[in-house]
Amino acid sequence: MRKWGILGGLLVALPCWVSAMNADELIAKNIEARGGLDAIRAIHSLERGGRLQAGGFEADVAEFKRPGKVRSEFSIQGMTQVRAYDGQDAWTISPFGGRKDPQKLSADDIKDLGIEADLEGPLVDYAKKGHKVEYLGTEDIDGTAAHKLRVTYANGNEAVYYFDPDYFLEIRIVSKSWYRGSAFEGETDLGDYERVNGVYLPFSVASGAKGSAQKSTVTYDRTEANGDLADSLFAFPQGAKP
Amino acid sequence: MNRRNLFLHRAVGPVVLAAALGAASHDTFAVDSATFSGLGVRNIGSAAMSGRISAIAAYNDDGKTVLYVGAASGGVWKSLDGGTTFAPKFDDQPVQSIGAIAVDPSNPKNVWVGTGESWTRNSVSVGNGVYRSTDGGETWTHLGLPESERIAKIIVHPKDGNTAWVCAPGKLWSDSDERGLFKTTDAGQTWTKVLAGANRSTGCSDLELDPQNPDGVLAAMWDFRRQGWTFRSGGASETAFSGSGLFRSQDGGKTWTEYTPAANKGFPAKPYGRIGIAIAPSDPKIVYAVVEGTRSALFRSNDGGATWEERDRSQMMVWRPFYFSNLIVDPTNPDRVFKTNLGLIASEDGGKSFSGSGGGAHGDWHDLWIDPANPKHLVGGDDGGLWTSFNGGSLWHKNENLPVSQFYHVAVDDQDPYEVYGGLQDNTSWIAPSSYPGGITNAQWEPFAGGDGFWMFPDPIAPRDYVYFESQGGSIVRANRHTLQQRDIQPKAGYKEKLRFNWNAPIHLSSTERGTLYIGSQFLHRSRDQGQTWERISPDLTTNDPAKQQQEKSGGITVDNSAAEMHTTIYSISASPQDGNVIWVGTDDGNVQLTRDGGKTWTNTVRNIRGLPKASWVSWVEASRFDAATAYATFDRHTFGDLDPHVYVTRDYGRSWTRIADPAQGVRGYAHVIKEDVVDRDLLFLGTEFGLWISIDGGAHWAAFKGGKFPAVAVRDLAIQPRDHDLVIATHGRGIWIIDDITPLRHLDATALDAELSLLPNRPQQQRLQGYGGWSRGDAVFVGANAPGSAVITYHQKTRHLFGKLKLEIVDSAGKVIDTLPASKRRGINRVEWAMTVKPPRTPQGATLAGAATYGPRVLPGRYTVRLTKNGQVYEAPLEIGLDPRATYTLDERKAQFDAAMRVHGLFERMADLSDRIVGLREAAKTKAATLPDGDKTKAKLAILVERIEGLRRQIVATKEGGAITGEERLREHMDALYAAIVNWEGRPGPYHLARADALEKELAEVEADFARLIEREAKPLGLDPQARAVASGRGSPRAAMHALRYHWHTPDLISTMREKKPH
Repeated sequence: MRKWGILGGLLVALPCWVSAMNADELIAKNIEARGGLDAIRAIHSLERGGRLQAGGFEADVAEFKRPGKVRSEFSIQGMTQVRAYDGQDAWTISPFGGRKDPQKLSADDIKDLGIEADLEGPLVDYAKKGHKVEYLGTEDIDGTAAHKLRVTYANGNEAVYYFDPDYFLEIRIVSKSWYRGSAFEGETDLGDYERVNGVYLPFSVASGAKGSAQKSTVTYDRTEANGDLADSLFAFPQGAKP
Repeated sequence: MNRRNLFLHRAVGPVVLAAALGAASHDTFAVDSATFSGLGVRNIGSAAMSGRISAIAAYNDDGKTVLYVGAASGGVWKSLDGGTTFAPKFDDQPVQSIGAIAVDPSNPKNVWVGTGESWTRNSVSVGNGVYRSTDGGETWTHLGLPESERIAKIIVHPKDGNTAWVCAPGKLWSDSDERGLFKTTDAGQTWTKVLAGANRSTGCSDLELDPQNPDGVLAAMWDFRRQGWTFRSGGASETAFSGSGLFRSQDGGKTWTEYTPAANKGFPAKPYGRIGIAIAPSDPKIVYAVVEGTRSALFRSNDGGATWEERDRSQMMVWRPFYFSNLIVDPTNPDRVFKTNLGLIASEDGGKSFSGSGGGAHGDWHDLWIDPANPKHLVGGDDGGLWTSFNGGSLWHKNENLPVSQFYHVAVDDQDPYEVYGGLQDNTSWIAPSSYPGGITNAQWEPFAGGDGFWMFPDPIAPRDYVYFESQGGSIVRANRHTLQQRDIQPKAGYKEKLRFNWNAPIHLSSTERGTLYIGSQFLHRSRDQGQTWERISPDLTTNDPAKQQQEKSGGITVDNSAAEMHTTIYSISASPQDGNVIWVGTDDGNVQLTRDGGKTWTNTVRNIRGLPKASWVSWVEASRFDAATAYATFDRHTFGDLDPHVYVTRDYGRSWTRIADPAQGVRGYAHVIKEDVVDRDLLFLGTEFGLWISIDGGAHWAAFKGGKFPAVAVRDLAIQPRDHDLVIATHGRGIWIIDDITPLRHLDATALDAELSLLPNRPQQQRLQGYGGWSRGDAVFVGANAPGSAVITYHQKTRHLFGKLKLEIVDSAGKVIDTLPASKRRGINRVEWAMTVKPPRTPQGATLAGAATYGPRVLPGRYTVRLTKNGQVYEAPLEIGLDPRATYTLDERKAQFDAAMRVHGLFERMADLSDRIVGLREAAKTKAATLPDGDKTKAKLAILVERIEGLRRQIVATKEGGAITGEERLREHMDALYAAIVNWEGRPGPYHLARADALEKELAEVEADFARLIEREAKPLGLDPQARAVASGRGSPRAAMHALRYHWHTPDLISTMREKKPH
């Protein structure tokens, strides 16, 4: 795990003259704030581990990413639930009720996983990826006048990103995903940013239903960039029946 | 200013220690919404009664009905599923009263909202113009007409989404120019008034476009005015001049022609009141108009309006036109027409005859949508909420998912959990618990038969058995909560006398004389025997102005004297908690009366309020609980067209008054209520038409409370539950909200606000009893949120925490860190909950989860420490946790339970350890066997050993996989059942629980012994490592937040597994 430093020496509080902000400027500032495009692209894999907490609930979580691939793990009582996508297949193992075999996930799940698997983040080269962005001004997010950016992903799902007005890092993402034609809205708060290989990552990620005060928070305690992550982590397990 | 800082924690070197810092100054408070909003708030509803729906728009999309519902004073709600679920879409906007909604026919993502309801009852709210969303209601742009106050209808051009017409009745309470029919051709950037009224009280009440020719516009103009004491629809009388009329344009609004009996045969003669119109979508030549006039009736034209014929004029066609003038024609059948009224009525013969269509719905209908794809599918709104019919409109489902209830008042009792009491617009009076296991469902709300509901209190003499509540006009009853009998105890008039009770007549309970009850007419009445007798303790305290007592003439063309306009009445009463002889009375016509001798003599102090216009409606008087000479008063002048707050305080029995809230302080909206905190005299809460405002410095500074997306809804009353320190908020449009525990506000002072981080005290924390409630109710119901069942930690941060870890730890009395919690990062007050549980036990891995063992028992009550670490700085504060006072067990019994739970917890750990060793040895044996050639004797022995080891494992855990209900129970499963039994009841466990623990421990010991023997006799001789160990266990607790998991995992199967496994 990398040590972090406040402001990291790189980020400087910017004055609030950015009234004529547009979407591209905002995204450029965000990429710069994260550590710059070169640093972001120098990360080709990411492995993170931590704890998920919500009320008295607790579980171990792990996350593995390579460009276009993602695997998330969630462990209770020594049993691990897996949710993964290798760019083609999305699948899960949900062992808590006695089944340990992998199951294929739906095309709707793939939409969400496809965004999760975007290692550099969907805002980098958003246009090439087919996403559309729209700057929506500022909105008060728990006392912070955050810049607001709507992203309509190429797959049809949507998200509104909120950026800290001084440091241009994401502080909230409100997502809208479609499952069998019905919208499913979530809200994720991001914080405790630390630098990993020159890139700021949130070490606290709190998620819940949009507008709900009840959130589950993942606190990461280990992050490793550029380790070797085998294809088999992400691929539908060989020999298993889909 | 004598706020005392009792609990502030200040940095002293690297560790921050609790210190009493003494008095702190109030002088410079930089507070804003963010300062307070992190307190959070919860809405307990209810959608049981729901509230008035003023406008509906809908369309079908991919087989689903998309609904937009406008509440009279509760914003815009959207459903993507035909009404199964709704989400509020207007909460960020500065007004909540909705008059009209229109979906752009050429692009349904474009939605137009006209704010300000046009059903102009006495309690109606106000709007501030037109809004448009281009993303289906997610974001809104204000498009202007800010002074229109109310909008009756918006129509968007069928092919050009930039062109729209806005029909604005305009201001209800005052003359204005921004009223009439407006048109935009540039999506609202500019507006042209295309049709103006004949005078400054005439605006537009209804609008229709010819569906085949959008340049054909039909507009109804309405002359109307409400004052505190009267209302007119049309002119001042049946025959007086009225600006109302019906107009037609054939050129998109450039030129207009008025309908007259001379030019349009069969059209009625002037003067008119309110007119409602409808063009049949399937045959635009057929036009309906319901015209309020000297002979109010429905009229129909079969030739596009050239000639007319009178049709129905039944009571439900012509009753209360200001409230009900809305006609809806079936889009597929020009002869099927509905008319909103007290009951919904329907005709299938072109308006010749009507019959009741409202079924079992509440009544007082305002809008209706007919599904063009299936005209038997109807969605309607009335004073009781939203209703859906699937049989053409004779039977109705109630939508129990719209908490847009319109409370006038609220009270609380001292039960635990306390109950909330209150009355609502046209929805009688209700009681609900402030928390209930499983959530506060609609069924938890208990109604009492009545009309409109207002003040409601438990009888202090018999608080569990009797309540006082009232219907409009002071119809107070004392009701038995069990038998539901009601006794009318309203004071009666004397010989040739009229008692003037306000629509919302004040009831007040003395806080110095238990059971003493006050009610106001023009006199103040007092009862000391639960309404058996009344004494008048004042003369007429109002102006008794005869000009304001002509209610029998109210209504304009159609008389409407429902008690809603009753005036020159007492409106607010407050007896001093310091001195029961000091009683303040405010009247609707502007008097602030004071007695200091229990009613013998009275002084009108309003003349001492400098700058306050005469006759201002006294919406609230509040005697200070700290000082008999101090009182607060709010004045509501919106009935004169002044929407500003006017709030004053006196500290010398009314001899002088100081204004403490005005627009210059950022406070918006006419004021309804001010309340002093029960502990901190400088902590004030102010409810206005546009929200809740908080001051921590006696009114010098105010900030709007926006926690939990609390909208800019009218706050009509506030109550503080003194035991729990909760602020209970009665909104007129969004139900009851509760800010749990306002203690931290009492400790916010300049020092706390200036510090980078300050831990703030809360009320004493309890381990609340663990009740199990709730059931599957489907997705189509509202459920109110409960008070937190966890310990709450509160702190204030000067700025948002963005970089690095904000670490929040719980430390026990021995100095050991027993939990680490995710900290909240926001600027201002933050709150974090701690479930107070021990970590769940490590559990052997089995075929399925061991449900109960996924959570730990609650720690013992006692003294803990909160430790926050931010940027290397450490802040600490004590956290005292007590038993729930309702607990039927002692602390010693609780300790016995905890010890028993931890004993089983320990057995799980032992079992997990054994499992790790068993699996470790098994794997070691397998590994070794794999290195040996087939036929090797040792290999064969190892294979046998693996089986024997596995046999031991099968004694510990159920191992059959596959997901079926195997019914397989082994030691782990038995232990889990015992653990559940002990953990879920925090009193002393039974001897049989402890005996069962003994038995299971013995069984576990036997397996341990068998394993030890196996190691000695079989494993060691084969050269296996006796210390071999694998990870075949783990801990984890999925108890509290299954819903949250979905957002990470989308795995309902896990959730259902947990639900089944969790013991109840």
